[in-house]
Amino acid sequence: MRKLSRQTKRDLVAYSFIAPNFIGFCVFTLIPIIFAFALAFMKWDGSNPIQWAGLSNFTRLWKDTFFIAAFKNTIIYCVGTVPLTMIASLALAIVLNQKVIGRGVFRTLSFFPYVASLVAITAVWKMLFHPSKGPVNNILLNVFNVPQDQLPQWFTGGLVLFSMILFSVWKYMGYYMVIYLAGLQGISSELYEAASLDGANTWQKFRYVTWPQLSSTTFFVVVMLTINCFKVYDIAIMLAGGGSGELTTSATVLVYYIYQKAFIDWDLGYSSSVAMVLFLMVLFVTIIQFRGQAKREKA
Amino acid sequence: MKKKVLSLVLTAAMLTTMLAGCGSSDNGNAASTSDAPAAASTEAAASTEAVPAEEVTLKWAIWDQETTQYWGDIKDAYEASHPGVTIEMVDLGSTDYMTVLATELSGSGSDFDVVTIKDVPGYATLVQKGSILALDDYISKDGVDLSKYAGVTDQVTVDGSLYELPFRNDFWVLFYNKDLFDAKGVAYPTNDMTFDEYDALAREMTDTTFGSQVYGAHYHTWRSAVQLFGVLDGKHTILDGNYDFFKPYYEMVLNEEADGVCRKYTDLKTEGLHYSAAFSGGDVAMMNMGSWFIATMITNLKSGEYDSSLCGNWGIVKYPHADGVEAGSTLGTITGLAVTTASDTPDASWDFVKWVSGEEGAAVMASSGNFPAMMTDEVVGMISGLEGFPTDEASKEALTVSNLYLEVPYAPNVSEINSALDSYHGSIMTGEMSIDDGIAAMNQAVADIQAQ
Repeated sequence: MRKLSRQTKRDLVAYSFIAPNFIGFCVFTLIPIIFAFALAFMKWDGSNPIQWAGLSNFTRLWKDTFFIAAFKNTIIYCVGTVPLTMIASLALAIVLNQKVIGRGVFRTLSFFPYVASLVAITAVWKMLFHPSKGPVNNILLNVFNVPQDQLPQWFTGGLVLFSMILFSVWKYMGYYMVIYLAGLQGISSELYEAASLDGANTWQKFRYVTWPQLSSTTFFVVVMLTINCFKVYDIAIMLAGGGSGELTTSATVLVYYIYQKAFIDWDLGYSSSVAMVLFLMVLFVTIIQFRGQAKREKA
Repeated sequence: MKKKVLSLVLTAAMLTTMLAGCGSSDNGNAASTSDAPAAASTEAAASTEAVPAEEVTLKWAIWDQETTQYWGDIKDAYEASHPGVTIEMVDLGSTDYMTVLATELSGSGSDFDVVTIKDVPGYATLVQKGSILALDDYISKDGVDLSKYAGVTDQVTVDGSLYELPFRNDFWVLFYNKDLFDAKGVAYPTNDMTFDEYDALAREMTDTTFGSQVYGAHYHTWRSAVQLFGVLDGKHTILDGNYDFFKPYYEMVLNEEADGVCRKYTDLKTEGLHYSAAFSGGDVAMMNMGSWFIATMITNLKSGEYDSSLCGNWGIVKYPHADGVEAGSTLGTITGLAVTTASDTPDASWDFVKWVSGEEGAAVMASSGNFPAMMTDEVVGMISGLEGFPTDEASKEALTVSNLYLEVPYAPNVSEINSALDSYHGSIMTGEMSIDDGIAAMNQAVADIQAQ
């Protein structure tokens, strides 16, 4: 047997260290992904032989009311959630980075929704925003004299997406606040001193010191937010599900539709094609973000 | 550059797995489970060969073993009368029972011999997947008389073949609270009411005064509770594709909602109020619900969980009916048993299915207040004679059904139709869509499904 070169040996050792994780990744993630890619062009119910379907799954998509609704809702939800959460968490971080009394308490309080169980806090939200018994609508009714039949229905119709966005911002801003806080602590105070000497006011300090220094933090926050909001499912189910558990066209989202098609209707091929659309959306957004970040770093 | 693109794609792939994990990796699971149970079933085959032929263990899929008495009763009674047979129950939980079961039976094999069929969409899935056996040969060989099942087996026949035998059959009746009627001095509902009479009665019973509020009617959030009034005329089913016949019933219920006759759908949905809590709270005069609620009422009143001063004085009558339709037409749901195609002991499994669905099984079911699929006068007598069952004649009479329409009859794409109807039911009931728009959307959605 030929003796292995030193380099090959070193490589082998390195690969052996990666192997446990990589094998797991292959078996549980990579292979299923490739399989799902292939399934998008097939017709399969999980038991009977797989049939080739060509592009028919994809042509079906654009005529499917529920898919279009889910697609639209997911995009609206993302467009609402990402910037709002980013702004809210940044604002919180800046405020709680000042030396204010009890800032530890406030930091904990803002982080709390993130720690709390989603099921529990959706239950609380449903109580608060209950259409006839909730305190929010009662205040609207009694203090602001909104007529009974015009009280907002927070969990149905046009408002449900708004409620979902509001909920999501509130729940996740604490988490991103912590990330921003870490970013803020990393900014050298000398930069602010220099800016002060140059006569910069508060806004200018933020605009020309804080914001550029935070750009890599912001990049991370936006990528994470985008991914998280495309995979929204739990919030929709918890806030808008109910009755028979079905989401109506005003609240359905892509991940829910993937689940429904795959495991209720057992149309795995079609479900995979919906998943493919979701994948392409995330890929597209991620590429844009990476490009943008690369350009900024060069500049 | 190439490397960068590659790394970009890989990163995106990894990121999406976080979200596609739900879709794709489960596909993977479905694929990988196909190997595991296959191995298990060959093992089972090996073990059955080793023991004498009469010693058989049947693996039976059920749900909610802890809270449902009759599973155990059936097992004990069958084992007692069939020495050598052991029934092994596997509890898959009730919430996603049919989804879990379909996953278990996916692929090339599993080790279940007998599976309980909870609903028709799930049944349709299993039939199409080829997971359960057609029972026709067994039925003709053993001379099972299907006419005893009051026609429900016809509604789950697939291309001339039957894949399950029902053993439990629940049908919808109208529950009412006698105390509320007495307090108002209004006559009780009867076994022969048209929908107009029912609506008028519900309105008469309603009291919207704050503090002493009484709801004349209560409709649970299920689609069946409102929409399926429409199929009782025997001319329509939910597979029709044209749902204009739902309209009068949506109008009736939404008008009742607007006038405070019943609780609002949006409220019920938001607070997740269970129908049993609504009825046992003592402010609901009438509620349409399945006969399974009879056993719940009896048990919970006996145990003191329900306050008998609020709802202890209750009765049932037959479902209201449309003009010109025979009284006693109602909705039903069946629970059936099927033999898996993967079973190594189909004959023994069939014997169990036949026994449970037959008269012996019916007697076991009735003894705990449940309705067997095979309804005989004897069974009606047994249930209405239970301690805690309302003593009036009308309640006893309400147990005889003239026409039973399944909530969901069999069709190849019934699961998708069901999903679409459920979704638009929500849209109509929450006011997201007008009744006409919602029904038009149902018609369109189902036409699309049937065109596939």
